[in-house]
Amino acid sequence: MLKKFDKKDEESGGNSNPFQHLEKSAVLQEARVFNETPINPRKCAHILTKILYLINQGEHLGVMEATESFFAMTKLFQSNDPTLRRMCYLTIKEMSSIAEDVIIVTSSLTKDMTGKDDNYRGPAVRALCQITDSTMLQAIERYMKQAIVDKVPSVSSSALVSSLHLLKTSYDVVKRWVNEAQEAASSDNIMVQYHALGLLYHVRKNDRLAVNKMLSKFTRHGLKSPFAYCLMIRIASKLLEEEAGSRDSPLFDFIESCLRNKHEMVVYEAASAIVNLPNCTAKELAPAVSVLQLFCSSPKAALRYAAVRTLNKVAMKHPSAVTACNLDLENLVTDSNRSIATLAITTLLKTGSESSIDRLMKQISSFMSEISDEFKVVVVQAINALCQKYPRKHAVLMNFLFTMLREEGGFEYKRAIVDCIISIIEENSESKETGLSHLCEFIEDCEFTVLATRILHLLGQEGPKTNNPSKYIRFIYNRVVLEHEEVRAGAVSALAKFGAQNEEMLPSILVLLRRCVMDDDNEVRDRATFYLNVLEQKQKALNAGYILNGLTVSIPGLERALHQYTLEPSEKPFDLKSVPLATAPIIEQRAENVPVAVVKQPEKVAATRQEIFQEQLGAIPEFRGLGPLFKSSPEPVALTELETEYVVRCTKHTFVSHMVFQFDCTNTLNDQILENVTVQMEPTEGYEVIGYVPAKTLVYNQPGTCYTLVALSEEDPTAVACTFSCMMKFTVKDCDPNTGETDDEGYEDEYVLEDLEVTVADHIQRVLKPNFGAAWDEVGDEFEKEETFTLSAIKTLEEAVSNIVKFLGMQPCERSDKVPDNKNSHTLYLAGVFRGGHDLLVRSRLVLTDTVTMQVTARSAEELPVDVIMASVG
Amino acid sequence: MGLFDKLAGWLGLKKKEVHVLCLGLDNSGKTTIINKLKPSNAQTQDIVPTIGFSIEKFKTSSLSFTVFDMSGQGKYRDLWEHYYKEGQAIIFVIDSSDKLRMVVAKEELDTLLNHPDIKHRRLPILFFANKMDLRDAVSSVKVSQLLSLENIKDKPWHICASDALKGEGLQEGVDWLQGQMQAMKT
Ligand SMILES: Nc1nc2c(ncn2[C@@H]2O[C@H](COP(=O)(O)OP(=O)(O)O)[C@@H](O)[C@H]2O)c(=O)[nH]1
Ligand SMILES: [Mg+2]
Repeated sequence: MLKKFDKKDEESGGNSNPFQHLEKSAVLQEARVFNETPINPRKCAHILTKILYLINQGEHLGVMEATESFFAMTKLFQSNDPTLRRMCYLTIKEMSSIAEDVIIVTSSLTKDMTGKDDNYRGPAVRALCQITDSTMLQAIERYMKQAIVDKVPSVSSSALVSSLHLLKTSYDVVKRWVNEAQEAASSDNIMVQYHALGLLYHVRKNDRLAVNKMLSKFTRHGLKSPFAYCLMIRIASKLLEEEAGSRDSPLFDFIESCLRNKHEMVVYEAASAIVNLPNCTAKELAPAVSVLQLFCSSPKAALRYAAVRTLNKVAMKHPSAVTACNLDLENLVTDSNRSIATLAITTLLKTGSESSIDRLMKQISSFMSEISDEFKVVVVQAINALCQKYPRKHAVLMNFLFTMLREEGGFEYKRAIVDCIISIIEENSESKETGLSHLCEFIEDCEFTVLATRILHLLGQEGPKTNNPSKYIRFIYNRVVLEHEEVRAGAVSALAKFGAQNEEMLPSILVLLRRCVMDDDNEVRDRATFYLNVLEQKQKALNAGYILNGLTVSIPGLERALHQYTLEPSEKPFDLKSVPLATAPIIEQRAENVPVAVVKQPEKVAATRQEIFQEQLGAIPEFRGLGPLFKSSPEPVALTELETEYVVRCTKHTFVSHMVFQFDCTNTLNDQILENVTVQMEPTEGYEVIGYVPAKTLVYNQPGTCYTLVALSEEDPTAVACTFSCMMKFTVKDCDPNTGETDDEGYEDEYVLEDLEVTVADHIQRVLKPNFGAAWDEVGDEFEKEETFTLSAIKTLEEAVSNIVKFLGMQPCERSDKVPDNKNSHTLYLAGVFRGGHDLLVRSRLVLTDTVTMQVTARSAEELPVDVIMASVG
Repeated sequence: MGLFDKLAGWLGLKKKEVHVLCLGLDNSGKTTIINKLKPSNAQTQDIVPTIGFSIEKFKTSSLSFTVFDMSGQGKYRDLWEHYYKEGQAIIFVIDSSDKLRMVVAKEELDTLLNHPDIKHRRLPILFFANKMDLRDAVSSVKVSQLLSLENIKDKPWHICASDALKGEGLQEGVDWLQGQMQAMKT
């Protein structure tokens, strides 16, 4: 049963750990007895245990001392004590990357692995593979092949699993062992069969056809091992997912047939695979849900747990599919296993009717204090889903959340609550004020910096728009007085946002900011000084540009550009427009039933996809003069069917006045090599093809890339949308698939690809303006244009909104992509940056009568972007 | 097992253990020699180049030998020294048909003899001038000249010509070594 983590337990348990106060130097000193003869196996095994304990506690061993102990340990191979020998294997594995010259034990290990004692053989294989690098692998290859087909299951399994590890570094060598692995795959031992199939799969993983063959071969003959079945199910569902769509496939039939397997493990795996398939229909789900329903009344707690946990997930996407199980779930509400009970209740919350909410919530509060944080998060997710389904219930549910927020809990749990409250606030404007004031109360005593800064940010954003903004100031300023620097900096930014939007409050905000200028911390001081200076100008445009809507460029990109500028000083001032934009995360779908806690924080500094492209393209001499990369299309477009001779996918890269089309091509014919591959393009509009960068060779199954460079039309700069017909041209050389021998002579050939569309969205980068109104005023109406259209083919406002967003490729602001229920007019605010670096804002007023009428207003600091929008909409 | 072994085992007597390092260039026949010294049921048929080292045991009438059969390849020779301290005797094997590398063998021997862990100890050293069966093998006298064995003054040493494949000459060497070890004990 799950117990709440208890700090006292850990402390009192301390005495029973004999290794608690180990000292590294003392232990290494002790290790010198390894050099003595005769060997005392018990004592030596104990010392090895200590060394392993230290390493696993994260103690750092220097190379010298580790190597010394390692060599001393090698002498223990004299002893034939089985326990001591096993400890040696463990030590070898742990030290293999710390000590030097660990290959010294190679012969000792090969001797054990081919020796008579079966207890030594498996572990020796594992240790041996751990110390063997790719240069030494050839020397032990013979032994590995033998071990894989060894009659003793533990030896064979060890060899298979070790091969899997070796695959990462020495693919080409391990690949040669598939015949042996194939033999092992028909073993009667369930583990050996499982491990063998695992290895075979990983060797072939990148070859779809081979994986398919393997699946159908093994599933046709049936398998002994339930583990192997589970693996096959996982592979099959992965393939299905990649295939996208068509369930009319033998893969799905296979998974479904596993629902009738005699092993519960396999049945569960199959059910779980089916419910996790994207876009599963009710009919496909039904059999999976009914086996899970059966498991709900199993006497085995693990099965009940697995079933209810999976049903819980299904309930998020397909609540109606789970209603059939409501009776069984009700029975689990009182399960003595609290984890099962929690999951049952939260599942019911998702599937049950509005009227049952109060009862269930009461039931769950009765044991909330007994369950672990992990399950509390599940409860929070269920509440979040409920709020979306029954907006009328949000008062009851919010109260529940506030109580939870006040209680003890770890970071993940608190974050889930805060996320949930925030999303409720965003959905229901009536709940905003109560929500904000509870959050204010929470940050008065909040130990999690991330949450405090997040809430401060929210206060800065939402607070000024409420009826009584001044009441938040006290809470925010308290942070400046009481907290550490990260939170103080967040509080300063929040204060500035109030000052920027509210003239009455400005004088007092200025007073508070002046105090912050004396702060001990650089960041806090810098922010205060900066905001103070901006606010003192009392100019709306400045406030909008520097306080309310922050920088939209990519920060690492800015750093690089500035660095470059300092390296090559020039007369011209630094141009912010030359910096690549931060690619706005696509968050539209979040409002659906995605559980809040699952929305991951973006990685901090990892290079984005676009930065990687920028670097790759920058390395090609032909593209040197194009300037910074403005935008890369978010997903490659397939220009061929999936299962054809050649597979080509295109990514579009937009520069200031050029586009580069990147074609990733794969040759799936093993009897051909393609050389000098280009994709010839023929535009319908004013674009002009300037040149090709060919892929030199395309060998079987190894992707290669070629590029086509085009210039944008100078005569008609508004004609940005265009269709290109594409044709792949290349020289074919035949080759022998077995030997790889290639003919010297080749012949020219070509292959017709599908047409490629360039749309207005390829020229606009989405950018989020947290305060759209301020940005709108900042840009001004100098180049404003407005026109009205009828969208005759569209029947609802939602449809209109999602079509416009998709078509223009701009970022919806102020959550205007959500159309409130029962309204017949709506305004959509879109922000973006047009190729060349100018902000582009679009306001689209939609009115629903029989059809949808749309009034589009576009603003930018330049005329061209506005014209492009008007030309493309009209 | 000989009669004495059986008796000793039965009486719970244990033979004195001796640690021996088996050194020499790669391919000189170290592993083959040690294998031949083991009881016939423990011998392997298939000898492959040693990587690192391997520990082998064999017994004589009065002693129990634990041999560290080291790899002789260039890159592993630097690792021999890790095992010097515990060694109580050395078997040094020379391929008597490999005239080309005789100087290399001499160099390694000199380095060994000058190593601080070896230099001032009276370790017995047994040399096998191995592969005497080969046509272009030189005599054991010639080998000891080429290696300047006469310069070793502070350690007892002995050289035997051997053919490890047939096992010839090995017993003579081991008998000498056993005698030395027993002399030391007293
Ligand atoms: N003709 C001949 N070959 C030998 C003799 N001793 C060893 N060999 C061969 O020499 C090769 C190397 O032997 P090995 O024991 O692995 O040498 P190590 O590297 O010193 O351990 C093997 O092919 C042996 O069969 C010998 O006395 N006569
Ligand atoms: Mg050897």
